[in-house]
Amino acid sequence: MIRINPIIRLVNRNLTISINPGFIIWQILFPLIYIFVAGFAYTSLIDSVPFGGKDLDYPAFLASGMIGFNIMNSTLISGIIIWNDRRHGMFEQIMSGPFTRTHYILSNIVTIGIIGLFSAALITAVGYPVFFQSVEFSIVTIPLIIFGSVVGAILFGSIASIISTKLRSSEGFNVIINTVFLFCAFASTAFYPVQGAPQPLATIFYLNPLSYLVDIIRAGIFGQVTDFVITEMLLLVALAAILFVIATKLLTKLDF
Amino acid sequence: MLCIETKDLRKKYASTIAVDGVDLQIESGQVFGFLGPNGAGKSTVIKLLTTLIPPSNGKISILGIDSAKHPLEIRKKIGVVLQQPSYEPTLSAEKSLEKYGMMWNIDKNTRKKRTEELLSAFGLEEIRKKKMDDLSIGQRRRVQVAREFMHDMELLFLDEPTVGLDPAARRKLLDFLREQVKNSGLTIFYTTHVLSEAEYLCDNIAIISNGKIMAVDSPSELKNRFGHEKTIKIHISKVSEQLKSRLSEIPECQIKLEPEPTVIINSTKSEIILMNILKILNETETKINDLSAIPTNLEEIFLKVVGDSN
Repeated sequence: MIRINPIIRLVNRNLTISINPGFIIWQILFPLIYIFVAGFAYTSLIDSVPFGGKDLDYPAFLASGMIGFNIMNSTLISGIIIWNDRRHGMFEQIMSGPFTRTHYILSNIVTIGIIGLFSAALITAVGYPVFFQSVEFSIVTIPLIIFGSVVGAILFGSIASIISTKLRSSEGFNVIINTVFLFCAFASTAFYPVQGAPQPLATIFYLNPLSYLVDIIRAGIFGQVTDFVITEMLLLVALAAILFVIATKLLTKLDF
Repeated sequence: MLCIETKDLRKKYASTIAVDGVDLQIESGQVFGFLGPNGAGKSTVIKLLTTLIPPSNGKISILGIDSAKHPLEIRKKIGVVLQQPSYEPTLSAEKSLEKYGMMWNIDKNTRKKRTEELLSAFGLEEIRKKKMDDLSIGQRRRVQVAREFMHDMELLFLDEPTVGLDPAARRKLLDFLREQVKNSGLTIFYTTHVLSEAEYLCDNIAIISNGKIMAVDSPSELKNRFGHEKTIKIHISKVSEQLKSRLSEIPECQIKLEPEPTVIINSTKSEIILMNILKILNETETKINDLSAIPTNLEEIFLKVVGDSN
């Protein structure tokens, strides 16, 4: 009998219980509406947006922002898996089987990494007609997009995991996770540029890791890797590492 | 071969002692019943034995493996059905079995075969496509127990597996478990509050109370050890003052007037007392309507052992 790694077996299980037609439709439909409805509707208000050395039209700017936004949204699944496992007794059941907590934690990370990449690829494909004129993919920029997608997924997956370990009630979990993710979505550079925003708001934008993720992905798509983007990459890695350690510690301490 | 061995097993939570020096030696190939009142420490012992929680003190050896040193090796060889429900709400009953088999690294063909066998053995064919979230508590419980037989194991822990099951499903499960022990040499560690179930299924029984093991033996031996008292009930037509007066001289008998006049003997010497009472009834011209002797059952033993410990 072929011995399949326990992490892969748990990832298989995570993907089976998480991905359903509703999730995929939501993952496609929601960004489509943003890109094609909001994107073109706001074009009359926002003519073009400067990014690096380029001027992007608003739909292209928004479509690239939606990739980061969608990665963040899809990693909610990590929190939902943990929360559901605790609520429905599967965490205890898995831990009494041929798995360790390390297997469980790593399987969640791999799951959100896969979903993050899938999500990024999906929105890139959907948004490509909108930003293809400004695209400057290269051997450097494609790994940059993959790097941003994976690290961003780990970061937001860790946030969702931390929340899920702390809350038992469904109401509490939903309220907190929606509030945190909604704040991250709208106080970021995903939907609008920082240029022209009031200074306090601009500061908040850059205290928000979604802005780093979105900027890295935009840099990857439009070939605008500046020193500022490199700083954002370092910050994203540092934040993801810290939050991942916290999430892991909390998961390790979860009792039965 | 010893399947489970514990020495001075203890578990303490803050100021509460949940398990207080439990010593167990359980041979392979049997159903071992673990009985106790609510909060006696049954589930904590199961969590300790299945390596879910570490002991505060003491040693655990499962299938000859030290649980402190190799917990994962133990978990690979055991099956666990915990007291609380566990299920994937978005999966169907059939898919739940199949995915659980996959999690245990069972190959696809075996998974398919076992899924069909278990759906049939547990009467789940009709609900095989229903989502776990839409099932009743009893149906979910059946899937939860069936699921555990998707993988091979040497030892199975069942913590109140029949909760929520109707009598027919309960009997089907008990017979299935007996069959498994008989055919594959599986050892089952079984907790329940339904003592008739334990009597039907278990080869040996331990009674735990306040975290301590009060008695360990086979059901028949437990009855011999603790079931000395026999209860005899004599239903009579009336209770006269003369009869009351005469019976009051016999300490181990009592009279109950409701729902019908009854003389109850509860003693280790019930037969001798019965002879005396029959004589009194005859002398007082009291008619006997019915006479019954109640055999000692596990429930009485359980109540006595737990009562003594309190």
